[in-house]
Amino acid sequence: MNNFGVIEIAGTTTKSTPGWAYVPDTGPALAAGLQPANRKRAARNQPALSLSDLSARQETRIRKDLEALDRDNHKDTNIAIPPKSGRSRAQNKHTPNVRKILQSQKTFANHLDDYQAMLALAESNPGAAAAMNAAQAKPSTSTAATPKSASPAPTTSSAGGGSKRSAAAAKRAAAQEKLEQERKKATKAAPSRPPSPSPEPSPAPPAAADDDDDNDDNDDEDIPMPDATPLPPTATATTTTPPQTYPRESDILPAYPKPPPRAHPGDADPLLASCGVPPLPSDAELRALMTAAPLSYLEARAAWAGAGGDQARYPARVFCAVCGYWGRVKCLKCGGRVCALECLEAHREECAGRYGL
Amino acid sequence: MASSRKSRSARAPPPPRTLVLDNGSDTIKAGFVTGEKTAGPRIIPNCLARDRHRKTYVGSELEKCKDFGEIAFRRPVEKGFIANWEAQKEIWDREFFDDKAPQRCDPSESRLVLAEQPNSLPALQTHCDQMVFEEFGFASYYRGTGPSFNAYHDIQAIFHTPRTSETIIDIPAEVILLIDSGYSHTTVTPILQGRPIHPAIRRLDVGGKLMTNYLTRVLSLRHFDMRNETYIVNEMKEAVCYVSLDFKGDLEKTWKGTRGERREEYLTGAGIAKDYVLPDSHKSFHGVVREYDPGASSRAACKGTVSTEDVLTLRNERFVVPELLFNPSDIGMRQPGLADLVMQSLSALPIGLWPGLLANIVVVGGNAKLENFIQRLQMELLERVPDECVVRVARPADPVISTWLGAANFAKHEHVEQLAVTKQEYEEHGAGWVARKFAAGLGVDS
Ligand SMILES: [Zn+2]
Ligand SMILES: [Zn+2]
Repeated sequence: MNNFGVIEIAGTTTKSTPGWAYVPDTGPALAAGLQPANRKRAARNQPALSLSDLSARQETRIRKDLEALDRDNHKDTNIAIPPKSGRSRAQNKHTPNVRKILQSQKTFANHLDDYQAMLALAESNPGAAAAMNAAQAKPSTSTAATPKSASPAPTTSSAGGGSKRSAAAAKRAAAQEKLEQERKKATKAAPSRPPSPSPEPSPAPPAAADDDDDNDDNDDEDIPMPDATPLPPTATATTTTPPQTYPRESDILPAYPKPPPRAHPGDADPLLASCGVPPLPSDAELRALMTAAPLSYLEARAAWAGAGGDQARYPARVFCAVCGYWGRVKCLKCGGRVCALECLEAHREECAGRYGL
Repeated sequence: MASSRKSRSARAPPPPRTLVLDNGSDTIKAGFVTGEKTAGPRIIPNCLARDRHRKTYVGSELEKCKDFGEIAFRRPVEKGFIANWEAQKEIWDREFFDDKAPQRCDPSESRLVLAEQPNSLPALQTHCDQMVFEEFGFASYYRGTGPSFNAYHDIQAIFHTPRTSETIIDIPAEVILLIDSGYSHTTVTPILQGRPIHPAIRRLDVGGKLMTNYLTRVLSLRHFDMRNETYIVNEMKEAVCYVSLDFKGDLEKTWKGTRGERREEYLTGAGIAKDYVLPDSHKSFHGVVREYDPGASSRAACKGTVSTEDVLTLRNERFVVPELLFNPSDIGMRQPGLADLVMQSLSALPIGLWPGLLANIVVVGGNAKLENFIQRLQMELLERVPDECVVRVARPADPVISTWLGAANFAKHEHVEQLAVTKQEYEEHGAGWVARKFAAGLGVDS
C-alpha cells in the first residue's frame, strides 16, 4: 500500500483522536452573537434552504461547532494578572464607577444579553428602563454632581418611541421607515441650515431619541441619560464647508464624474460614460444618511435571509466531513456527508463512536 | 445650554500630545502624535498569555516568550470591544502609564484618540469613557469608529489613481467603502467625507480567530491534535493560507480520488500542496513552509527511519479556511459571504452612491494580507453589480496599521478639535453627554 502525503496519517489519527466535536462544552453559553438563534428569521421561513432540513441533532452539532470556533482557547483558562515586580505606579483610589467596572467579570455575551433584556424592558416598561440606564452613566467625580437640565429621563427615546415601537415588526422595514422619516425631517431642516447652531439638535445617534424605530433592538444608542442635551456638533464648527475645488452640484458630495470614481488605468471611462448614471442623492438625503444613528450590534449583523425573510438567497455547499472535498455521499446514520467510499469508512468509525452502532 | 457653551469658549488649548490607540482584539496599535509629528505605531499583543511552563506574559512581554507550544490567552477585547477592563487596564498600565512603560504617557497632559469597532454596546462604551476619564484621567479624548479613520488617508494614492500635480488631495476622502477584516469579524462601512454612514454598516462574524480555529479543527481531524496549539496554527495560517480564485478547480486538484485511487494532481501536489514543518519546541519554535515533496513520506517509510520532524502536508486546508470569508455557510453559519455583505450594505443606500463606493473599496485589517483577498472580492462584486459599474478594490501597503495611521492623521486634522471632549466637560455634563456627542459625530456642516 502506498503511503502518500497525509492521508494515511489521517486514517490512523482519526481513530486515536476524537476530534473537535468532543470539545467539552464548558464555556459560557454563546449569546446570539455568532449564530442567529432566531429561527423565525433564519430557518423557518426558508423551505428551499438545505440547511433548514437538518435534523435537530445536526442543528445542535452545528451550533456547538460554531461556539467552539469562537473560543480563544480550546480549554477553559483562567489567567490571573501577575503581580508586578517593583510596581512603580502608585495605586490610586478608584472611583465607584471604576471599581465596579474593574470588578465586573461579565463577558461580551453577558453584556449583549443585558442589552437585549434592557430593550425588551424598554418596550414593556419604558420608564423603568430609562431609570435603569440613568443609574449607569453618571460620572463618579464629585464635581459631576447634578445633571444640568435634568428631569429624570428627559429625552429618552424609550419613553417617546414606545407606542410607535410596538407598532411595527420587521426590522428592515423599520430601518427603511426610519430613513424615510429622517429624510423628511432633513428636507424640512435643510433650508435653515447654514451657520445657526442648528435648531435640530444633534441629528444623530442620541437620536435614536427622535424617531427611534420600532424594532426591538434598535434603541441602544439612546440609552437615556439624565443630563444636559448634547451640544449640537455644529456649535463648535469653525469652518463652513470644505474648500470647493470644482463646481459642485451638491454641497456635500461633488457630482460625478468628478473626483471619486476615477478609473484605473485600463478601465474604460468611469461608470458613467454613456450608460445611465444614477443621480446623486439630494443633499437632504445625504444629510440624513450622514447623521443617522448607528444600528445596534445585532442589527448590523449580516442578514441571512432576504429582506422579507422568506427567500433563501445564499445556497449552502456541502463537503466531505473527512477530507473536505464535495460531500456527495450521505451517511445514513447521522446525515453527515463524505466524498466517497474511502472517506465513508473513516467516517463510520467516528460516527459509530459518536452515536453507537 | 448657555453654561455649557460658555465652558466651551473658555476651553483650554488642546494637550500637546495625543496617544493614538487602535485597541484591537488581537493587537493594540499604539503611538503618539505631537504637533505634526507621528511616532509609531508599536504593535502590542493585547492579551495575557500563559505558556506551558506556567509563566505569564502581559502585552508586549510576549516578545520574550520563545516556546509558544500550548500557550493560552486571555484577551480583554471580545468581539472587537473592550469587555474586561481588569485585564485591559493591566496591559495599558504596563505599556503606557507605569514609570518604565515602553510608551510612557502622562494622561493629564495628553489627548487620547481611541478607535472602536462600529455598533458597540452602549454599556461598554460608557465603561470605556468612564475608565478614560475617571481612572486614567486623560485631559482630552475622542472615541471614534475605526473604519472612519481610514478616510484620513490619501485614498487615491492607495488606488494609484493617475493625477496631476494640481490634484487636490481630499482629506478626509470624499467617498470610501471601507472593509475592515480583523481578528473578531469583518465589517463594511461606507464613509462620506469622513462620516460613517451608520444605517449601512454591516458585519460578518468571520475573522482571523474563527479561521485559525477552523484550521485547527481541520488539522486535528486529519493530522494531529492541534487543539492546544492556537498560536502555532495561527502562524501556519498566515504562512500558507490563500484565497482561492477558482474554488471548484482547486478543490478538484487537491482531491485524492475514490477508494485506492490517487489522482495525478494529488500525487504531484498540483502546485497547491505545501509541506509545513511544525516547531519541535526544542530547537525550533516557529513552523517552516516547504515545497511539497511527494516522495518524502514513502522514502521515510522505506528506510524505516522515523523522521524527527513533524511535517503536515497541507492541501485544501490552504484555501478552505479563508473561503469562510466568502462562504461562511460552508461551516453552517447563517451569514452571507463578504461580497453579499457589501451588497447588503449598498442596498441600504440610494443607488446614486453606489458607483462612488464601488470604485473606492479599501480593505484593511490583518486578513487583507491573505493572498488574493482583493482579487476575489473584486471578482465576486463584478458578478453582482451592473456591467457598467467600475469596481476598484485596493489595500494599503500595511493593512494592519492603516486604521492607526488614519487615526494619527485625524489627530492632526481640525476635525479632532470639534469632536474631542475634555475631562472638564465630562465632569460637567456626564458620560451620557459624552456618548451622545461621540455618536453624533461631525454632522454635515463642519
Ligand atoms: Zn472525503
Ligand atoms: Zn455518520
